[in-house]
Amino acid sequence: MYQPETAAYIQQVSSGYGIAHSLPQYTFEETPLGLSSGGGGSGSGGGAVGGGSYGASGHSHGLGGPGTAGAGGGAGAPGAGLAGALIYTTPIFSTTRGTVGPASGLGAGPFHFHQQAQHHHNGHNQNVNHNHIHAQNHNTIATHHQSVSPHSAVKMESNTDDLAAQEAAARDYQPQPEGPLVGPKTPSTAITEEYAKGDPIYVQKTMALPQTYSHYRPIRGDGSCGWRAIGFGYFETLINRGDKALILAEKARLESLNDYIEKVGGMVLFIFQDMADETFALLQKISETLDDRKQALADLMDAFNEPQISDSIVYHLRLLASAWLKGNREPYADFITSDRGIDGYCESNILANHREMDHISLNLLVDVLLKPTGFVLEVVYLDRSAGPQVNTYRFPEEARNQHPSALGPMIHLLFRPDHYDILYPVDMDLQVHRVASFSHNFQIAPDPVALQDYAAPDLQVLSVIPGYSAPPPGLAPLVDATTGSPLTSYTSSPGSPWMSSPFADPTHQQHQHQAPPAPIPISAPAVVPLQAHPLRFSEYCQLREYTDNDTWREPTFQTTTFKNSHFNVAHYNNPNFQPEEYKPGADEFENLSPRSGGGRKRGSV
Amino acid sequence: MSFSIEDSQNSAPGSISVNKLGAGRKGPDAGQNAAKRLQTELMQLMTSPAPGVSAFPSADGNLLSWRATIEGPDDTPYAGLTFKLSFEFPSNYPYAPPTVLFRTPIYHPNVDFSGRICLDILKDKWTAAYNIQTVLLSLQSLLGEPNNASPLNGEAAELWDKDPALFKTKVTDRHRDVEDE
Repeated sequence: MYQPETAAYIQQVSSGYGIAHSLPQYTFEETPLGLSSGGGGSGSGGGAVGGGSYGASGHSHGLGGPGTAGAGGGAGAPGAGLAGALIYTTPIFSTTRGTVGPASGLGAGPFHFHQQAQHHHNGHNQNVNHNHIHAQNHNTIATHHQSVSPHSAVKMESNTDDLAAQEAAARDYQPQPEGPLVGPKTPSTAITEEYAKGDPIYVQKTMALPQTYSHYRPIRGDGSCGWRAIGFGYFETLINRGDKALILAEKARLESLNDYIEKVGGMVLFIFQDMADETFALLQKISETLDDRKQALADLMDAFNEPQISDSIVYHLRLLASAWLKGNREPYADFITSDRGIDGYCESNILANHREMDHISLNLLVDVLLKPTGFVLEVVYLDRSAGPQVNTYRFPEEARNQHPSALGPMIHLLFRPDHYDILYPVDMDLQVHRVASFSHNFQIAPDPVALQDYAAPDLQVLSVIPGYSAPPPGLAPLVDATTGSPLTSYTSSPGSPWMSSPFADPTHQQHQHQAPPAPIPISAPAVVPLQAHPLRFSEYCQLREYTDNDTWREPTFQTTTFKNSHFNVAHYNNPNFQPEEYKPGADEFENLSPRSGGGRKRGSV
Repeated sequence: MSFSIEDSQNSAPGSISVNKLGAGRKGPDAGQNAAKRLQTELMQLMTSPAPGVSAFPSADGNLLSWRATIEGPDDTPYAGLTFKLSFEFPSNYPYAPPTVLFRTPIYHPNVDFSGRICLDILKDKWTAAYNIQTVLLSLQSLLGEPNNASPLNGEAAELWDKDPALFKTKVTDRHRDVEDE
């Protein structure tokens, strides 16, 4: 498991969060005054105020605008004026930064603009600034601006225009959601990194997150993410269950709910038929490709990233939830504050396109989609609430206070204010593999002992060769690598779980043919006792738990995608995992990881 | 050895499908679902028409572009008048609303002089459960019940309550028959 370095994050936090270093500078550069004398001062002043205030000023930049404009015109809000007064920094006062600095945090928005104007003052009249620094009343300042330096007031007005334009742009700005509708599974340490410079509560919570949830799957934040995440999780869980009958039963159940949507939900069939059909088609598709789990998951990804299909399924879920609400008004009626009642709520909060899922909708969807199947939804809330760890809640409510083992398959969501992503708990890969292996005969290893002991005898055979000295432990796998046979990749994977006996003999024979003068009986390997490893692949092979226990077999940390490849992060779940040290220039680096050869091979079968 | 193959796929864990994600069936059949849905709606409009409204795909054979008509409801200043509208459907219809314009000049508090309509269900309140017929019926009721709180035509909003007679005159003055394109 990757453990983020605590020290690194703390350092970053202490240097201030949410800092946009470019922001103050940007503001100064844009100043139309073109201050030659004040420009340098403002630059250094901005830099010296310190991290604490930058984040704040950056965020409330736009908000502070009107107040600032008022200052120029002489009719601003008192609050903004006070902030402006406190912020004044002159070459004189910049030496007493200690007193001005902390107050500047209050200044927030108007900060930059007052500074501009004020620096202009510096050029004209230093004494005024002495007055300003004591000024507590905004109107006083405004008067000074106008009387002492009309030029600056004019410039402030031109800033007002800029601000108005900026505000208009901000108002009309429609953020374009980025990324795929449903993204790839990503290590959840990425979330930790994302928040590393953020609020300490987030830092603490996100650092704890990867210990419980190893991966997450980003969902596009287009307003339908909650619906899409649950929908995807539902299909994915069905695939992982590997039960074709269950999928077909779900398809039949949802098909029967069409009637419910029509009669109770009050929808016309022709409106939603196409949408529901996409759901049924996808269920049918994954039921057909279920034997190849990888293919089924790929189909699922493709479908959920095809906007037409994805939106249709999401809308079908909205229709289901909406119909469910109309059919179960009683428990929800008190929670719905819409002045148009439940029907109005359905229209404006559930069915409206890209309307984010709220708590009621989430409950409804769980009740209609997940609960009848026995699936449980667990939502991890990443917010600013107190506590070192994220809060989790399970849906339906009955599932709370129960041990996970007593519950059905669980879908995990990560909720950050206004956004849902899918989470995967740490041992997910392992569970998935176990489930998958039952449906794939080839993955059941016939004889653990034979597997365990497989590669070692080869080397002992070699060591019998006259003049052949056993290579040092670290280089042992090189022997396999140099043989060059495509089949040798099997022999070099001691823990490979899908090495079945049919492969064994041919491989051995080949090995012996290639080891020049070694006419040793094929049966030799079988006699070697398990405990007597003549040659170690790593020091861990000699651990007592390995050698004392004949039945021990290396657990298989695999996923369908990466098989047993050393790129598979599932290996991180191996308690015995030891990361390999990368040494630039060491050619044997590649050869030291021969296991992936087996994975490759298997994948092509 | 098979390492060359392995290395070529040496992407970070979990990132393999990134390329596949964009490679869906986006280009050619974008709008195909919209067209399918619109065909269904056309059939629906023909089999069970609503009184006072009608709609049909425009003559150029583009299913994403429709022409519609609304008859002014009785007991409103628009009684006896017929209004032509144009519908332009996005390729992801019904997951995005159509663009609806009055082609017939109309004097109405919520319609500007270019025929643009201010109606929430055509903007943020749009849901995929709406269809051409529901939009037309909503517009028809908008004629009799304008939302004077957020007018596009301020004068009309004022006159609606103040001087119904003058309003009616302005409606009649502004109404002109438009040719079909």
